[in-house]
Amino acid sequence: MISWDILGAWLSAAMVVWIYSFAYRDNLFYKLAEHMFVGAAAGYSIALALDSLNRVMIKPAITTPETFWTTSWHYVVPAILGVLMFAKYSRKYYWLARYAVAVNIAVGTGLALRTVPIANITRQITATIVPLWGSDPVTVLNNWLLVLITIGALTYFLFTIFPRRAEGARPSPLYYVYRTLYYIGIYGMMVGFGALFANTIMTRVGFLISIYLIYLQPQYWATIVAAILAAIAILLPLIRKK
Amino acid sequence: MINMSRSISLGKILESRELLYTLLLISVILPIIHPLGIPIAVSARTKAVYDYIENNLKPGCHVYFEIYYEVAARGELEPNVVALTKHLFDKGCKIVYGSLASFGVIVFELMKTTAADVFQGREYGKDYVFLGYVAGGESAAASLAKSIKGTVSVDNYGNRIENLPLMQEVDKATDFDLVIIASSGTDTFAYYVRQWYTPYNVPLLFAALSIIAPSIEPYVGAKQAVGMLVGQRAGAEYETLVGRLGLGMASMDAQSTSHMLVLVFIVIGNVVYWSQRLSSKRGGGK
Repeated sequence: MISWDILGAWLSAAMVVWIYSFAYRDNLFYKLAEHMFVGAAAGYSIALALDSLNRVMIKPAITTPETFWTTSWHYVVPAILGVLMFAKYSRKYYWLARYAVAVNIAVGTGLALRTVPIANITRQITATIVPLWGSDPVTVLNNWLLVLITIGALTYFLFTIFPRRAEGARPSPLYYVYRTLYYIGIYGMMVGFGALFANTIMTRVGFLISIYLIYLQPQYWATIVAAILAAIAILLPLIRKK
Repeated sequence: MINMSRSISLGKILESRELLYTLLLISVILPIIHPLGIPIAVSARTKAVYDYIENNLKPGCHVYFEIYYEVAARGELEPNVVALTKHLFDKGCKIVYGSLASFGVIVFELMKTTAADVFQGREYGKDYVFLGYVAGGESAAASLAKSIKGTVSVDNYGNRIENLPLMQEVDKATDFDLVIIASSGTDTFAYYVRQWYTPYNVPLLFAALSIIAPSIEPYVGAKQAVGMLVGQRAGAEYETLVGRLGLGMASMDAQSTSHMLVLVFIVIGNVVYWSQRLSSKRGGGK
């Protein structure tokens, strides 16, 4: 007897194979898996959002109204603002949605702005003020690299005022300092991008490995059948073309 | 002439992305079927995180754990989450899980099923609580830091927050000894730095995807977080440290072989590029 669990496991293995089959070529099974994924993800998000609303507000308001109206009455305000968002779909009342959007943006901006200057600016600047001399050569080298590459990268992004080499004139010392820092910035960023690229490979391969271990290896027959179906779907149009 | 056509066809084969994908697939699957047992060393960064928990958290301490990753990212982050959870439970800590993402609910339940042994003997409501999905992004993070009870009235399973014994011990950011963020998104880390660390000075610990790590490194460098676990590799290392080998360790051979393959292709690509450049220079700079 095939249970829903087994069917689900087979389906998940097949979906993984069909989604990955796009790496070879677009095909019928990839499209099927893609549409199913988008539909399921959208449906799940809506269901979960409604469940969250029901769990946090509607159910407590109905089952324990005394507690709700004394401790959690303020939930009504975001609920009303949320309902106002749907006014966008009305030609007559679309303007009501602006209030909800305005509150949302204002709260978000206010919350972020109260700490952004400290968290993202001040603390980052103070983190680059490090000792450039000391007993540990590795720490000293790291500190020099940190300071030079930070200044270099900032110099690279100077778009307004920077020393230029005048036509036929001898460049000023400031010009050489600027050019040196400019190139340190470029190479520093290149190293950063290289690290980012390597990390990207690691993440994507990690996804592939774990997906294979979790979904494909336990259901290898479903995987093989799905792979054969995808291969047919890829090869058949190519053969027909020839 | 024959040699030239042969080299062209070989070049075409080497250029085809299908070949690379197939070799990558083989390099991933083979070491899983036949493990090579390539040893891995514990990095200083992972050891520092382990030591922080070992030295700073006392039995009965409280930890807030943000679960913010989708099913696809399970392989990279679940080993970290499971190993950290085991370490925290072994230390006698109590954990409040929460998620600012709707998919956090799925991955938490999957994690609990996979790591049933870690949760065995731990009582829900007393040793750990799962708040479920808390909508609102950064605003929700700020609200949770101010008061969990004021933000959510019930947990993921519909239990009233005030009826859970653990939630009578904690309510705001300063009640927690450590906040762990396991996320596949860059913004989540910024939310917690801005809304939990900066106003309340609560120690943060990051568990991030490898791809995210360079973006959030400045927070760790600026000591806004006590440490960071990066991807599957850190998960495998932490599994070794806590003595529970799982998905992270199982993936390491495949990670090593696939990386070697990518390295080989980078070398081949560079050799071909430079040889073409040199030959075009010799041929009059065509």
